[in-house]
Amino acid sequence: MNPSSIPALEAPEPPPFDLMRVAGLGRLFRWRYARPLLQSPLLIISAVVIFDGLFGPSLAPKNLATTLSWLHFRGVLVLVLLCCGNVFCLACPFMLVRQAARRLFRPRFDWPRPLRNKWLSVALFVLILFTYELFDLWSSPWWTACLILAYFSAVLVVDGLFKHASFCKFVCPIGQFNFVASTLSPFEIKVRDQEVCTRCHTLDCIRGRREPVSDLVIIRGCELALFQPRKVGNMDCTFCLDCVHACPHDNVGVLSRLPGTELLTDPIRSGIGYFSRRKDLAGLAIVFTFGALLNAFGMVSPAYAVESWLARMLHVSHEAPVLGVIFTFFLVLAPVLLLGIAAWSTRAWAGNQRPLPPLMVRYAYGLVPLGFGMWLAHYGFHFLTGLYTIIPVTQRALASLGWPLLGEPRWNLIGLPANIVQVIQIGFLLLGFAGSLAVIYCLAEDDSPSRPLRAFIPWATVACVLWIASLWLMFQPMEMRATLLSG
Amino acid sequence: MRMGPQAFNASRLIQDRLTRTQSTGIREMVFAFRRSQRPVRPLPNECRNLLLCACAATLFMTACSRPPDSSRTVTIEPEISPQPARIGPVVVTLRLADHAAKAVTGAHIALEADMSHAGMAPVLGEAKEIEPGRYQAHLTFGMAGDWVILLQITLPGGQNFEHQIEVRGVRPN
Repeated sequence: MNPSSIPALEAPEPPPFDLMRVAGLGRLFRWRYARPLLQSPLLIISAVVIFDGLFGPSLAPKNLATTLSWLHFRGVLVLVLLCCGNVFCLACPFMLVRQAARRLFRPRFDWPRPLRNKWLSVALFVLILFTYELFDLWSSPWWTACLILAYFSAVLVVDGLFKHASFCKFVCPIGQFNFVASTLSPFEIKVRDQEVCTRCHTLDCIRGRREPVSDLVIIRGCELALFQPRKVGNMDCTFCLDCVHACPHDNVGVLSRLPGTELLTDPIRSGIGYFSRRKDLAGLAIVFTFGALLNAFGMVSPAYAVESWLARMLHVSHEAPVLGVIFTFFLVLAPVLLLGIAAWSTRAWAGNQRPLPPLMVRYAYGLVPLGFGMWLAHYGFHFLTGLYTIIPVTQRALASLGWPLLGEPRWNLIGLPANIVQVIQIGFLLLGFAGSLAVIYCLAEDDSPSRPLRAFIPWATVACVLWIASLWLMFQPMEMRATLLSG
Repeated sequence: MRMGPQAFNASRLIQDRLTRTQSTGIREMVFAFRRSQRPVRPLPNECRNLLLCACAATLFMTACSRPPDSSRTVTIEPEISPQPARIGPVVVTLRLADHAAKAVTGAHIALEADMSHAGMAPVLGEAKEIEPGRYQAHLTFGMAGDWVILLQITLPGGQNFEHQIEVRGVRPN
């Protein structure tokens, strides 16, 4: 026998690491009340934040609402997304309140068909970024508390009227942020063995586990319409563990994977369809990426020079129209221009025959790692440089209630030195840039197998431009003004 | 943009209206689209519960306003130089006078300058009396943007109170 005719034995791929197999953790996740257990602390923290925001000191650095929301929550959120997955949605306090409220209100309506996409949530995401700048939410505990209250109210109204997890899937801006960022997380909820699903006839993971006689749902299936055997990646997955609890074969795990793999391919995805055909999802990815730059831009000195210049040009003294122009530039003009040129170059150079919009949609996902890198760099900076501020602010809050359990506030506790954090920031930006290049190359290989480099270069140039812009932003002197046009 | 007095007035107005609405009895309120010769159809219980919750949340929110500052027996006239303030050392001069416009002497004033964003290091200082009723402190602003200087004032009689000075738009060098 000719040895060359023997097929080479490929080393079997090692099974992915399953968080559910970790002693204690698996048992916790399988426990029916795991989610409420994780949600309860966040609900208590939310209540404390709202209370302190409304009744505590008006100065942001002294208040739990601003410190916890804009420093610690955002920082922990992005770091957990990077290191684990969409854990915030798992422990979402809004959903705990919703669950309690659903004992009072039985939702009757289905979410309107024209709104079954991400456009509304994209608009709300932009609106939050806009109000953040316009009302200087970071400097106002009162407004911060109001925003959280508004969030709770919105959850109650939407999920009080509409069935399933309409708020999570179609409305929640934080959720959409988490969905996009979690495409780069190292863990996903996934079936362990597809064969088991092939043999399964009950489909409890989507239908919910039902009582045999009455057919009443006793354990809920996925409320976001993600059918486990056909689910790909983390998009739209809230890590709610409903599928884990519902699966009668214990075949759903929290499995490790290479971050970003779901962006490399374009299979049909349960509850989503094809990424390449979802303009709304691409729009979300674009807002996620360019919004990261915009949000950081609002905190550096050149922003104020630009804003003052715009105010003079437009002859306005109010902040809203100026911000409107800046937002239009960052979230509409710049993406259309950059992605349009790249798409046109891909067509001309790589011989791709697709029209420009589908090309833009296809490659927009390639910029997500870069955007996530920027969010990490920005939020990570505030979190790490203000890491210990939670201690004096908590001391102050307890003392103001007449329980000085932790002693006098130690206002000298701040966080890590900025020069050390800056190195970490650069690391995040580099990681994001490398991730974007890798995703774009894979997309180019898939799209133009004969000339992948020619399809790659225009998009890599866009990523490079954005990366340089991110680096430039990171090295600008910070300037945190609540009053845009007065200074 | 901060909560101005108009906003507080507006919220009180809403609160008044809600209170009046509640006094008429929310159960008696009929929410229906009235058309000619059509009977009034009350909303289902779920919607009523939802509205009650919304009203309660609105009441809770609009009821939140801080009491007025009662420590204003002393007037404080702050002055910061250079103007406009820039990153680096600044001199804060405070003129303290009582309600009869008489200079307040012998007060102890501790200063704490904070950025309007959480997570930034505060700058601490102490004011010295340079002439009767006139106090001066040296602070160093480390970053451009909006700062708030918190004054902890202890009067000779032992009376303590706090005062805030907003320093907006500290400029970069």
